[in-house]
Amino acid sequence: MRNLLSGITAFFHLEKRMYIEFAIATILFGVNIILTLTMGYYSEHKAYYPSNAFIVVLIIAWLVYAVNLFWSKKKSTSDIAVVLFGFFILWEVSYKLGFIHNDLLIPSPEGLFHVFVEKPTEIRDDVVGSVKILLDGFLMAVILGTLLGLLAGWVERVREVLLPISNVITLIPPLMFSAYLIMILPTFRAAAIAVIFFAVFWPTFQGTVARVGQIDKKIIEAAKTMGVGTVGMLFKVIFPYCLPGIIGSVSKSLRGAFMCLSGAEMLGINIGIGFFIEKYKSFADYRCVLAGILTVGVVTTLFDIVINKIEKTVIKWKD
Amino acid sequence: MSEINVNEKKEGAAEIPYTIEINHVSFDYIDKKTRFGALHDVSLKIRKGEFVCILGSSGCGKSTLLGLLNGLNKAKSGELIINGKPISGPGVDRAVVFQQYSLFPWLTAKGNVLFGLKQSAKKYTKKERGELAMQYLESVGLGDSADKYPSQLSGGMQQRVAVARALALESEILLMDEPFGAIDPRLRLELQELVSKLSIENQKTVVFVTHDIDEAILLADRIVVMEPGKIRTILKVDFPHPRVRSELIRSDDYEKLHRQLTSAFYDQLMENIDKEVAL
Repeated sequence: MRNLLSGITAFFHLEKRMYIEFAIATILFGVNIILTLTMGYYSEHKAYYPSNAFIVVLIIAWLVYAVNLFWSKKKSTSDIAVVLFGFFILWEVSYKLGFIHNDLLIPSPEGLFHVFVEKPTEIRDDVVGSVKILLDGFLMAVILGTLLGLLAGWVERVREVLLPISNVITLIPPLMFSAYLIMILPTFRAAAIAVIFFAVFWPTFQGTVARVGQIDKKIIEAAKTMGVGTVGMLFKVIFPYCLPGIIGSVSKSLRGAFMCLSGAEMLGINIGIGFFIEKYKSFADYRCVLAGILTVGVVTTLFDIVINKIEKTVIKWKD
Repeated sequence: MSEINVNEKKEGAAEIPYTIEINHVSFDYIDKKTRFGALHDVSLKIRKGEFVCILGSSGCGKSTLLGLLNGLNKAKSGELIINGKPISGPGVDRAVVFQQYSLFPWLTAKGNVLFGLKQSAKKYTKKERGELAMQYLESVGLGDSADKYPSQLSGGMQQRVAVARALALESEILLMDEPFGAIDPRLRLELQELVSKLSIENQKTVVFVTHDIDEAILLADRIVVMEPGKIRTILKVDFPHPRVRSELIRSDDYEKLHRQLTSAFYDQLMENIDKEVAL
């Protein structure tokens, strides 16, 4: 309730320029809706899809935009909305006017978003499957990478052994392992998890080592003079100091992990959004392929948002 | 050498016992070619409850000496004894306040003080620790800022928290390495008076390193003037506590002592400059 109120008051405190920009973006949104609902097709197409899914997407996009504009008041918000709605109008109009002939490769926006109405359970199951594999490999890699990174960062001898090794391994794209991993590991699932693990483990390890190296010597000395031992130093001093860096690298490596996951799934696992894309590629159903790609983008973005939220609530301090 | 020590210990036991004994200590920075901060055959004894200021220009080894006392540096030869036991490394019997801000940035002011309490040799329940932490923060005048992070505090406030954290260790000895060097003069005076008051209230034995003559006179029972690598002279300061700077500086004794210190401090500086010029 208080949020709503502050939102309303914020609305009346916007600059004039922002109202104009908001109006332009909203007019584009309205044009988009009207075109989608009323404009007829001026060319022959193989299939025509109902527009309800696309309309829902447009409305959601507009709502997200409006809320973001009034809460964050970032100047770029309206620009993004204008580009997005402009792009949709262009796509819609050129499709209906017949500028886009190849139905197979480039669907109409209605057709693309209708995939989510046609196959909701399939997409949901594949997203859940992907996320499960991702989390398994990811959590393991982050926990072990952090522990080993703390140890190597603190103990010079361990570091001198592991850092050169990791420098070589991180240069090899994790997907290159996957063909081999599928051979040696019992299941495709285990192989996919292993690929994710390799994609995340070494960057996490290296990031943690680097962060431990950055810690101010005075902080270590202060801890030493307070009688902090090795274990206390690692977990009560170095770990909390490194935590923001670890969370920061988590969001970065998560993106890499998602890439690897989609790749790993394409290699033969029978669940997951990568599998979804691969499957419809072999059916030459590029409408579904695009929908799958879009889903990967949305899910990754959602993960990013969640991690940022976690970072903001956990880390309240600055150096 | 050991015989002499025994004799001196007996002598000391007659009055107030020695808390800190530094016997013929030498120190070299092996990795550096310069002799910056080295010590040669330094001896000093500090009694329980005494406030000793070590005064010297930069590079004379005063911070090195403190580093030996807090256990972060190891002496090349000689021995350092705390309450009859040789120093083997850092320990909670000695609390340290550094020049640079050394608070843990991920903990609030109260969290930092609590950290000190948890490390302290005495065992408290969680509730007692919370109450004590607030008590220490209030004693440095920061009861209101308990939940602030170091990045939200000014330099002077951070050093206050550092003092509170050092007090929270509840050690007998307080080692301070130019703690107010980076703080603006007006605030510095406030902090000096605070430290003087707290060290007496909490019956601390204090070793306080500084290059500020006025600071030394305001705080110390004894001032150890150093020249590079060794002790030049030791002067007693007899003004009664609590000392108020504005009153002190009007007295003749203050001026006399100040002149003595200045000449000890600057003669040695001039000698050094002459040496360098000669080279």
